[in-house]
Amino acid sequence: MSEKALSRFEQPISVPGRRLLHHIPLHFVVKKVVGGGHRASNHEIPLIPFIDFLLCIVLFLLASFSASGELPIDKNVQLPKAENVLDMTEAPMVAITGTQILVDGVPAGNTRAIEEANRLQRIDELFNILKNKRELWKQINPGKEFPGVAILQVDKKVPALVVKSVFQTAAFAGFPNISFMVGRLGGPGGEGGGH
Amino acid sequence: MAGIDTGGGHGKGRATNHEIPLIPFIDFLLCLVAFLLVTAVWSQMARINADARVPGPPKPDEEVEKQQKEKQLHVEMRGERKFQLVWKEGSTVVNTIDVERKPVKVGEETRYPDLAKKISEEWTANGSHRAGTDQKLDQAVLHTDNSTQFQDVIAVIDAIYTPQRDWNPPGGGAPKKIPSFNVTFAVN
Repeated sequence: MSEKALSRFEQPISVPGRRLLHHIPLHFVVKKVVGGGHRASNHEIPLIPFIDFLLCIVLFLLASFSASGELPIDKNVQLPKAENVLDMTEAPMVAITGTQILVDGVPAGNTRAIEEANRLQRIDELFNILKNKRELWKQINPGKEFPGVAILQVDKKVPALVVKSVFQTAAFAGFPNISFMVGRLGGPGGEGGGH
Repeated sequence: MAGIDTGGGHGKGRATNHEIPLIPFIDFLLCLVAFLLVTAVWSQMARINADARVPGPPKPDEEVEKQQKEKQLHVEMRGERKFQLVWKEGSTVVNTIDVERKPVKVGEETRYPDLAKKISEEWTANGSHRAGTDQKLDQAVLHTDNSTQFQDVIAVIDAIYTPQRDWNPPGGGAPKKIPSFNVTFAVN
């Protein structure tokens, strides 16, 4: 753009002209940066290995990423801890939270009746839900043997009577291999049964 | 910095040499790492096995094997003062051992180290399945009264799983340590 054209607008900021001392070739600076026979003071940061490293971290974290988040544990449920434990597995989760029984988050009965009767009882609602889950699994996996594994998530203060009732109901519904959900005590621990 | 250099670019047309903007890419990766780290689930949850002793559905197509009566360790935790370890062969009582109930608090958790030690000794003396090639486990049956708290049940199951033995997987592979007992939780 010409100077004449710009002057029409009376701009407060003028177009930059030639820079001071631009013509002076600072040879000694150029020489120093390039090295001038010694080690160059100008360095390229090796970004490619850094990106590789970041990509590895991203892939690892993506692989271990759980979209559903933490295992669904009620805040009011305090799980007991054990040393000789196994890693968690995919199975229907039967939770006893307060007086309510949930199967994978769906209400499946109440423990109040058991505590009031003070005797072992079959919980019909839980039985039906678990039986339906078993039937569904068999329809989806024809010809395969049903593993019959269910996980009980029980508060540490719950009396054994309630645990036994739920345990027995699950067993009668076709889930005789019960695992109790616990926290890990101490180090990684050994293996808690089965192989 | 990374770039694409074709060696040309001196003509009047668009330059064929390009610098790939790596800095925004690194920024993006760092944001992704931060997000994944923040949302990562470092689960401390685990499980502990216990079988139920109930009759299974009838399988008419399978031949019923006549099972040899094996010794089973019954762990009774009905009293408040002691545990009772009873070795049974079928309904025949072979041996009965009393173990004092000494709970040890580890943080908020209750442990029974004396019981674990005694069960280990008992398995060493009377266990039937010890060989690494033996795919079966000795059976322990846990009996509790109805008022026992669940945390005590878990503490006793944990004590039963304490003795371990070598096990060679059937398909080959490195031998590993497994618990000597399989636990059945008796509901009656």
